[in-house]
Amino acid sequence: MFDFIWQPIIVTVAILLCSLATYLLLLSSHRTTKAQPTPEKMKNYACGEEIKPEEAHADSAQFFSAVRRVLSPFYRHIQAAHTGEVNTYLLWIVAGLVVILIIILLTVW
Amino acid sequence: MIPHAPILVIVLPLFTAFVMPLIGIIAERYHIKYLRELIAIGVMIVVLILAGTIAQEVWNGEVIVYELGGWSPPWGIVLAIDALSTQMALMIAGLGTLVMIYSASYMSRDSGLSYFYTLMLLVISGMMGIVLTGDFFNFYVFLEIMSISSYALVSFRRDALSIEAGIKYLIIGSLGTSFVLLSVVMLYGVVGTLNIADLGAKLATYGGTNVPSVLVLSLALFVTGVMIKVAMVPFHTWLPDAFTAAPTAISALLAGPAAVVGIYWVARLPYLPFGMPVGLILVSLGLISMVVGVLMALMQRDFKRMLAYHVISQKGYMVLGIGLGTLGATLGTQGGLFHLLNHSTYKALLFMCAGAVLYQTKSQKFDELGGLGKNMPITALTFLIGALAISGIPPLNGFVSKYIIYLAGFQAGMPWITAIAVVVSGLTLASFMKAFSSVFLGQRPQHLQGTREAPKPMLFSMIVMALICVAIGLLPALGFNIIGPAAEAAKNTSSYISHVLGGT
Repeated sequence: MFDFIWQPIIVTVAILLCSLATYLLLLSSHRTTKAQPTPEKMKNYACGEEIKPEEAHADSAQFFSAVRRVLSPFYRHIQAAHTGEVNTYLLWIVAGLVVILIIILLTVW
Repeated sequence: MIPHAPILVIVLPLFTAFVMPLIGIIAERYHIKYLRELIAIGVMIVVLILAGTIAQEVWNGEVIVYELGGWSPPWGIVLAIDALSTQMALMIAGLGTLVMIYSASYMSRDSGLSYFYTLMLLVISGMMGIVLTGDFFNFYVFLEIMSISSYALVSFRRDALSIEAGIKYLIIGSLGTSFVLLSVVMLYGVVGTLNIADLGAKLATYGGTNVPSVLVLSLALFVTGVMIKVAMVPFHTWLPDAFTAAPTAISALLAGPAAVVGIYWVARLPYLPFGMPVGLILVSLGLISMVVGVLMALMQRDFKRMLAYHVISQKGYMVLGIGLGTLGATLGTQGGLFHLLNHSTYKALLFMCAGAVLYQTKSQKFDELGGLGKNMPITALTFLIGALAISGIPPLNGFVSKYIIYLAGFQAGMPWITAIAVVVSGLTLASFMKAFSSVFLGQRPQHLQGTREAPKPMLFSMIVMALICVAIGLLPALGFNIIGPAAEAAKNTSSYISHVLGGT
């Protein structure tokens, strides 16, 4: 019944072939240049301080920070609304019940 | 079918739950290691076999009616099992077995395990009762058995966070079950019966319109109660805290098998017992939950909390699909139910992977983890499979069900819904890229240098789940063989009613 919608084996083979072709293309265009770093270049710096590589870690809050900036009005309201207070959450539920009741009334009557 | 299989799948875990403290005493007295765990796993395997024997009979279009105490319907309580109930029962038993195997290792450092397995088996028994019963009040009783055991399990470790999450879940969850009870009371007051088939037959006389106001209120209360259990926005607030604070084995149980129960009633709701139009509510709540869930997940810095918000988002897909099914898109219900099957698998897998990381590193904060792919390669690989599956990347199982929901959007004449669903999938992928990168790639902190791979029983469950994700993705017929009859059964109210009330 769903054969016309989705042919997983064919698509999987196609994905694997495309991946292989991409990889081969990447390999064929690869130019190897021997790195000659100076000891100074191999050092990690954070605010002028030298740190070990295993101590360096990207801040997860910085991931998709652009999304946060673009959607800042949404996040400002939605995060502020998640107060953690049960009273507030119970109010949301009662408000939701009222909205559902109104929609059903409008649909049924 | 094995004789009495319908009742055995409920009472076997129920009775084992009550003897579990005794088994615990015997295990400690005679120093028998893993006795509780082996018995719990054994019971789940028996329940899975029993559910399998029921399925063979039901997939031919039959509805099994099991009368309790010899009282015929609508006077007595009956178990009424159609293909939809069977899909749910198989999922609860199958995923429950894997979660139980995972728990044997994951909970090994905890004390009070007799109570833990007692509560786990009570949750399983309650879930089985909810999906198999043909009686509305009986449904409420099983809902309470499941819910109260879940509240206790969330607070199992009794630290400040888990107690707070447990109390929050208790208060909000109790409001939900109270709404359901009120709804049952109102229905009984107006219609005078509690048998779901009998209720369906009598409510059908209203033809879905011009119904008494009490029934409208009853439906609104029931929908709200179910939506609290399903955790649709704005009824979702218990879920992130509960899933974050609970032991990860419990998070996997609540994200996998327990999700089944709520969606089961969402799938029944438009057809039985009320038979009133709720498609618009389901589509609206589904869409809002999908979008809010994924945007909140994108900004989380805690591994399990991020997964918890994805539970809300993915359940939004299911509710949306089922809602579209009631608005003329025949693919909608199939997509919603198929997504339930897939989601329960990969979400339980993702929580198990998060649990494996937490078990070995004692941390679930992205900023405290990193570079674990080398130390925990199997966990990393299974997490990657789960992450790609939840993001709807072909050829994994998540893609198939999401694709059907996308098509349902077109079929319902609302392509903008499909557009939103595709964007949410993209954001889901972005969120999991962050998680995979933060936990398994990059620099490994000094204190995690000696981290080892998760214990074998945990890996076993994770590998089986990952294989299911790949297998259903490559061979979707495996899933359609279960989903097709289930979606038909959800809509075929006349067959359900005639089988139950006709006693055939």
